[in-house]
Formats: sequence, structure tokens, C-alpha cells
Amino acid sequence: MSTEKIGKGRLFPSVSDMEKWPWWALVIALAAVFIVFNIFNSASYQDAFGFIREGIFTTIRVTLTAYGIAILGGLFLGLGRVSKNVFYYNFATLYVELMRGIPMLVIILYGAFVVVPLGLEIASGLGTWMTRFPLLAGWGASLQHLDIQNVDMSARAIAGLAMGYAAFEAEVFRAGIQSIERGQMEAARSLGMNYVEAMRYVILPQAFSRVLPPLGNDFIAILKDSSLISVLAVRDITQLGKLYRARTFSSFEAYNTMAFLYLSMTISLSLGVKFIEKRLRRGR
Amino acid sequence: MDDNQDQDVIIQIDHVTKSFGKIHALKGVSTTVKRGEVLVIIGPSGSGKSTLLRCINMLEFPDSGQIMVDGIPVMHKATNINAVRAEVGMVFQQFNLFPHLTVLENVILAQRVVRKRKREEAEQIALQQLKHVGIPEKANSYPGELSGGQQQRVAIARALAMNPKIMLFDEPTSALDPEMIKEVLDVMLALAKEGMTMVVVSHEMGFTRAAANRVVFMDMGKIVEEGSPDSIFKNPTEERTRLFLSQILH
Ligand SMILES: Nc1ncnc2c1ncn2[C@@H]1O[C@H](COP(=O)(O)OP(=O)(O)OP(=O)(O)O)[C@@H](O)[C@H]1O
Ligand SMILES: [Mg+2]
Repeated sequence: MSTEKIGKGRLFPSVSDMEKWPWWALVIALAAVFIVFNIFNSASYQDAFGFIREGIFTTIRVTLTAYGIAILGGLFLGLGRVSKNVFYYNFATLYVELMRGIPMLVIILYGAFVVVPLGLEIASGLGTWMTRFPLLAGWGASLQHLDIQNVDMSARAIAGLAMGYAAFEAEVFRAGIQSIERGQMEAARSLGMNYVEAMRYVILPQAFSRVLPPLGNDFIAILKDSSLISVLAVRDITQLGKLYRARTFSSFEAYNTMAFLYLSMTISLSLGVKFIEKRLRRGR
Repeated sequence: MDDNQDQDVIIQIDHVTKSFGKIHALKGVSTTVKRGEVLVIIGPSGSGKSTLLRCINMLEFPDSGQIMVDGIPVMHKATNINAVRAEVGMVFQQFNLFPHLTVLENVILAQRVVRKRKREEAEQIALQQLKHVGIPEKANSYPGELSGGQQQRVAIARALAMNPKIMLFDEPTSALDPEMIKEVLDVMLALAKEGMTMVVVSHEMGFTRAAANRVVFMDMGKIVEEGSPDSIFKNPTEERTRLFLSQILH
């Protein structure tokens, strides 16, 4: 039956309704039902969920903060990637190339144990120097007392994730800006706007709406990559899942619960991204 | 400035050259435009018409030569080119309206950002200009909802709202369906009658005959011949001009 439906003249051979049905979604839904059912009914799942639950907030907090910083950093770097200023362009490009060539796990370790401690040391050194000037002494004193011992691991983890993702978002913004027709910049400049004004009022608003879907996808990606911060012993979903398994040796319960928690977040987010995509396409 | 002759000259182009890699788009072009004059540039594709027009407001930076716009040497490093561009409106073949803004916002934006006008004032001027080009009722539409002819008229209104001293038009009707060409040309003709200084790249003979004070024929990066519309169209002295005109008039 179904082969008869494949018209020879069609650009894309159509599949029958049965084949088109989202079977994969059904499988996921069934798995979710299985886990939710267990969380409510099985004592061991209840135990696992109870233990891991508190990690949800850490995962969300770290993801949101790191993503926010990455977006701002990515915008700054993305503008550098399309800049005609030699220093700005090369700085942004160097940064992006470096970050894109390093695994996220290594970036996180690097951020937590090299960049943040070094940054604080420099800031505190600067603070000491500033205390010599009466005008700056107040700020200097507060900078001087910055100490890596007082910075908790989740903040360092955020720094690492944000460092890596800023490079990805930079490329998203660069592509978005470059996708805007040349004539837009020319029209804005011909009206007397300077480069910054043209970017701000004409190019970026258009670029932003075009990059919403990739930005949304990167939010899902950073949420998943946030599981890497468990190497820093930050008590996120993954870390608590690992701890729970180590304590109880109940691998099934621990890892099923972890996977379920991530999936329920990523799948609802990806539905959100699809929705935005559809609206943008209609709005064009 | 000090010489009487120059007081009427608003654009002075002296030996301007411009290359794109190996392509010599302009090979030493000189001409002047007087205040209130309508200059029409014609010539075959690739002859450098757009490049010349875009050099006037520095969308292209010439390799050598000198350009004065209203007494300001636009190629000088010390010149604030944004201030010059605010006085020189430009209308593009592809309209280049801002698709994320309504028609009204399109006409308001640069007034606010560049001219620093208050919102109410900018809005009033915008509505007045939209009336001027005959589409006040489209103020709250988005460019994507307008026909090509309407979009081009909005683009003209957007440029006029800055109260420019000069208007540049680069083939403003060549992306339009035939039935929409007239509505745009009528707006341009009215503008010419009001005394606006205009430099127009166009092969619309009707408009040129009705509006142009002077026609420049360009070929291969050079001005081959210039004169009144009558003299260029009826008695071109150069063989290349004759050949080109026979192709577009046929
Ligand atoms: N940005 C650019 N980069 C490279 N070459 C260019 C650029 N702009 C123009 N040129 C080249 O310069 C020459 C002159 O171009 P220009 O656009 O001024 O011609 P034109 O007379 O306006 O032609 P048309 O009638 O096709 O618009 C052409 O050979 C063109 O290919
Ligand atoms: Mg052209």
C-alpha cells in the first residue's frame, strides 16, 4: 500500500500516515510515564528522586546564570567578529577559535582553577595598588580582600560554562548579523546614523529575531552541558545522582531519574523553540 | 565660497577614481551639480553609475580625486561624514526599508536618532511626508505588507523627513512592476518641481525629459558626454551614446 503512494513525480516521496506518526515521541512518553509512576509508587525511586531533587535548582541556577553571561559575552564577541577594528576583530576571533577547539569539560576545569583564581589575584593586586590613592582607596580595599577561598565552586563552574558558551553565542550572533542584507546597513548609514546607531536600531533587532531559534537550541545545549560541572563536585542533578548511586548502588533508579529530569526539561524547551521558529516563519 | 560661480554649485566631483580589485569602476570622473538642478545619469550596466552616486555620500570611498558636498570636502578625514549624509538623502533600487519597523517608525527613526527631534515633532513630520508621497493611510503597516511602489514611496518619505539638501536616486524604479513605476516617478517629478537638488540614475526617458536639467552618459567608468536631455537624446555627438540610446529607446 504505502509504496503505491510514492508518486514518481514528487520532489520528496511522501510516506504513509502510519510511517509519519511520531513513534519516537510515544516511546519517550511511555518511558516518562514509567518513571513518574515509579517516583510515586516505588519506594526506591521515591528515595532516589528525593535525594536528587535538590540538584534541580542548582542545575537551573547554574544554567540560567551561565547562559545570561554567555549571551552578553557572545554579543560583545559577535560584534567583534564583524568589526572592522583590527584589535576588536582579532581579539574576538582569537577567543572564539581558542574556545571552540577545547572540550567543554576542559574549559570548565580551566575556568574554575585557572581563570577565576588568576582573575581574582589580579583584581586583588590591583586593589592593593589602588589603596595607595586616597580617591580609590575604598574600592581598592574591597578588591584587595577578594580571595578565591571565598568563591564557591558553583560560581567557578558558571564562569567556565559561560566562557565556553560565549564563544558559541558569538558565532550565532555573527551569523545573524551577517544574514541581514547589506542594504539595511547602507540605508541606515545613508540617513546619517553612525555604525553603532545603525547596529543598535536597524541590524541587531532584525538579527536577534533571526537567531532566536539557535539561541534557544544553545540554551538546551548549555543545560545539558551543565552536567559537566559535577566534576567540580557542584551538587547539581548529575552530582547528586552520582552520589546517590555511590551510596546505594541502585544504578537504575539513580540514572533513570537523572535522565528523566534532564529530558523533561530539554523536551519542553525544544517544543518552545519549535513554537518560536514557527511564529517567526509566519511573521516573515 | 569666495567665487561667485561656486555659490551655486552644491556637488563638485573632481577626477574621482575608484577600483574594486582589478575592476576600474570609475576612471577619473569630474562633474558639478548646481543647487536645484536635476542631473540624470545614464549608461550601460557596469559603467559606474551606482559607484559614482555612492561616492557622493561616501557609501563608497574613492581611491583618489576630490568631492565637495555643499562646500564640505567629504573625503577629508576630519569631515564628519554622518553629518554630511544627514543632508543627502538616498533612495535605493531595492527600497531597503527597515522590515522590523512600521512605515511610520521607518520615517521617524533617523529623525530621532540623527536629528534628535522630539517624538511628536518627528511623528508630525513623518505623517506630513507620507502624505506628500501619497500613502498616509499606510503609516501603521509593515513594509512587507506594501506593494513595491508603495515601499519605494515610503523610502522617499524616509529620506525627505531628514530635510536633505540633496536627493540621490539609484535606479529607483527598476525593481518595480511596470504598473507601479508611474506612482514613484510622479513623486520624483513633483520633488524636482519643488526645486530639490537631485542626482538620479535612471533610464526612464519620460521622467528625464520632464525633469532633468542635464543628462550625463557614462560608459566604462567615464563620463562620455553630457548635456541637456534634448541634446543628448536627439543629437548625441558620441557614437557610444548613440549606440546605447538606440538600445534603450528602440
Ligand atoms: N562592491 C563591489 N565589489 C566589487 N566590484 C564592484 C562593487 N561595486 C561595483 N563593482 C563593479 O564596479 C563596476 C561598476 O559598477 P556599478 O554598480 O557602479 O555599475 P552601474 O553602472 O551602476 O551598473 P548597473 O546598471 O548594472 O547598476 C562593475 O563592474 C561592478 O561589477
Ligand atoms: Mg547600478
